[in-house]
Amino acid sequence: MIRVSNVSHTYGDESVLETLSLSVEPGEVLGIIGPSGVGKTTLLRILSLFVQPSEGTIELDGRAAWSTDESERLALRRQIGMVFQEASLFDATVARNAEYGLRVRQPWSERIRDHLRSILGSSETAASATEALDVVGLSQKLEQEARSLSGGEAQRVAFARALAYDPKYLLLDEPTSDLDPRNTGLIEEAVLEARDRDIGVVVATHDMHQAERISDRVGVLLGDGFTEIGPTEAIFENPTDERTRRFISGELVY
Amino acid sequence: MTIQRRDFMKAIGVGAVASTAGCSQLGGSDADRPDVAGESLTLTTTTSTYDTGLLDEIHPDFEEMYGVTVDAVAQGTGAALESARNGDSDVVMVHARGLEDEFMRNGYGVNRRDLMFNDFVIVGPESDPAGIQGTASATEALTTIAEAEAPFVSRGDNSGTHTKELNLWEAAGIDPGGDWYQETGSGMGEALNIANQQGAYTLSDRGTFISQRSEIDLTILVQGPIEDGPEILANPYGIMAVNPGVHDNANYDLAMAYIGWITSPGAQDAISDYQMNGEQLFFPEAVSEDPDFQQYVPEGWSSDSSDQ
Amino acid sequence: MPLEPIALLPAVVDLPFREGYVSSTIYVSLYVSVTAVTLSTLFSVPVAIVLGFTDFPGKQLVKSIINTGMGFPSVVVGLLVLFTVSNQGPLGPLDLIFTTEAMIMSQFVLATPPITAISLAAITGVSENVRDAARVLGGTRLDVALVVIKEARYGIATAVLAGFGRAISEVGSVLIVGGNITSAEGISKTRTLTTAIQLEARQGQYETAMVLGAILVALVLVVNAIVVRFGDTEAVNR
Repeated sequence: MIRVSNVSHTYGDESVLETLSLSVEPGEVLGIIGPSGVGKTTLLRILSLFVQPSEGTIELDGRAAWSTDESERLALRRQIGMVFQEASLFDATVARNAEYGLRVRQPWSERIRDHLRSILGSSETAASATEALDVVGLSQKLEQEARSLSGGEAQRVAFARALAYDPKYLLLDEPTSDLDPRNTGLIEEAVLEARDRDIGVVVATHDMHQAERISDRVGVLLGDGFTEIGPTEAIFENPTDERTRRFISGELVY
Repeated sequence: MTIQRRDFMKAIGVGAVASTAGCSQLGGSDADRPDVAGESLTLTTTTSTYDTGLLDEIHPDFEEMYGVTVDAVAQGTGAALESARNGDSDVVMVHARGLEDEFMRNGYGVNRRDLMFNDFVIVGPESDPAGIQGTASATEALTTIAEAEAPFVSRGDNSGTHTKELNLWEAAGIDPGGDWYQETGSGMGEALNIANQQGAYTLSDRGTFISQRSEIDLTILVQGPIEDGPEILANPYGIMAVNPGVHDNANYDLAMAYIGWITSPGAQDAISDYQMNGEQLFFPEAVSEDPDFQQYVPEGWSSDSSDQ
Repeated sequence: MPLEPIALLPAVVDLPFREGYVSSTIYVSLYVSVTAVTLSTLFSVPVAIVLGFTDFPGKQLVKSIINTGMGFPSVVVGLLVLFTVSNQGPLGPLDLIFTTEAMIMSQFVLATPPITAISLAAITGVSENVRDAARVLGGTRLDVALVVIKEARYGIATAVLAGFGRAISEVGSVLIVGGNITSAEGISKTRTLTTAIQLEARQGQYETAMVLGAILVALVLVVNAIVVRFGDTEAVNR
């Protein structure tokens, strides 16, 4: 379980998040909805242990991430996968992209051997990378150069890249906001597949319908904190907070 | 210089790495070889000597005799002496007696010998616009050129040849300047090419001029002493060892071996035999029944004078 | 100096070069420049990464020093290296004057500013998203640096070529610190193609100088082709 307790974050004098708490269990999808610029990305960067919050604690399976040393934190970080709004693929083949997370987890001797094999052209794509690409329907494009992919395909590869090393948690920051409906659907299916693999997924999105479709629970981020967080159905059917209600009904426009 | 490097290697404890430098001595296996075998001698000399190819012709004999290599570095006379002054070379061969004397007086050089000579010639276009052909005096010829303001190309690079040219102007009582007088700051070959293209006069050493004569239209208008011209155009070469008392890393043994060899009758004959385009370039003067004592010391020095 | 192309051909066939002269000169040129550029790249790319990734006081000063260094005249570098390696200089006891090692030192100094500056431009051109991706996928700082190098490889290859071009074509410093030495048999010890050209020009031998110049240009072209090809192969296999 990822547990965030009373996290506040400021950039300079500007408060972005204020005493925010949440938790994510393995095998559930937590949707974070809110308008653009509200701090969803900051929250995900804190969850991914990219950014140390100004105040508050974050624990992974009971271990506090920022009161430990760098190598311990790396071990914690390596249980998390993340996909950004932009695919941000490396300039390499689809297979090499998908294997990246596996590669950096190998000892250097093995990595060098792998690199030599790739130069000789005799390397085989790791099974879990192929499998992850299969989840997003791209296992037939292993040898294609990433730069020749369409935007939707690239984002699916980015998803597979995060899934390939079998993380415990998966963080998705607006993963489909640049995609067409078909690719959006494929990503959403992949999210549900990840949940079935007992991965805890956090999806930040400004698309309320998407959150409603795939989330088990939803947090509504308005201002610098959650106005409400709870089971999807309860939030959408019966919001208790007035601002949540107005945001969901489209009355509150930021 | 190799010895120096080996000592350093030992000093930092990686003597084994030195197997490439002077390995024959370390192994001691090559008993027939002299002890200097494998070392190299750094000779700084002037471009006009180097460019004639004389050294490449005669050095193999010395290298074979001692099992060493000679690294000949061609610089201007000033730079050649400066390298030696810094202890960056072991032996120096130049042609500017005044500078050589200063070098010795300052204690940097020892055991100077007269080595060989050739001469300078004043060359110009065949049309000879200033009309200096047949002039018996070099200074008179230069005066005529200056008065006619005929184009003249100067090396302008503080080389031995340039130094000689300036001495000639001074002897003629002229301070050259004006559009007709061009300093090129280049080597002799380039200066000759520039003079050729501009139909200008210039002062050249005979060796470089001979080696390039087939490619240019310039002709000798005032001969040097080799062809019975004025003595002032003589171009004597001297050789000196770097003083090991000043630079203890100088390879003095080998420098003296080199000086001994190049002033020996055999090497002097080889210098005499060296020809380019069918003409002899250098005239040896080290071997003599009646040695000139002034070659060993700065010119004009005597034990009676208060030289120090 | 007019030179008919037809007149050049017999000159190529019947050159006044002694056996081994040209090949040993090419060897020394390549040995010195390739070594200098390799060392310079190993030094410059990490420096560019540090400059590209981190902020520290004086960073602008470092950058402007590098930019100034790009225009540093090679003869000045030659003089500085000469003072360093000369018998009287701080490295005098190493006895490096008139050796290829001294030439490597001066070419290192010459090649480092352009390699660093162009690498820096390439590295800062790598999207921050890609750096973040490497990190978030479990990469260490070193992994992130390697990813950036790979992403910037074309720019870095350009940087290396620029550095190589500067190194192999410069004449001023290698002439001063190397001494332009050949053995009496004409085998180069510290003579490079550029100093050989300088020597031929000094003697007015413009035709042979041009032949050597053509060899130098051909050499630079070949090295460029190899590096570009290498970059492409890397891209395919990565």
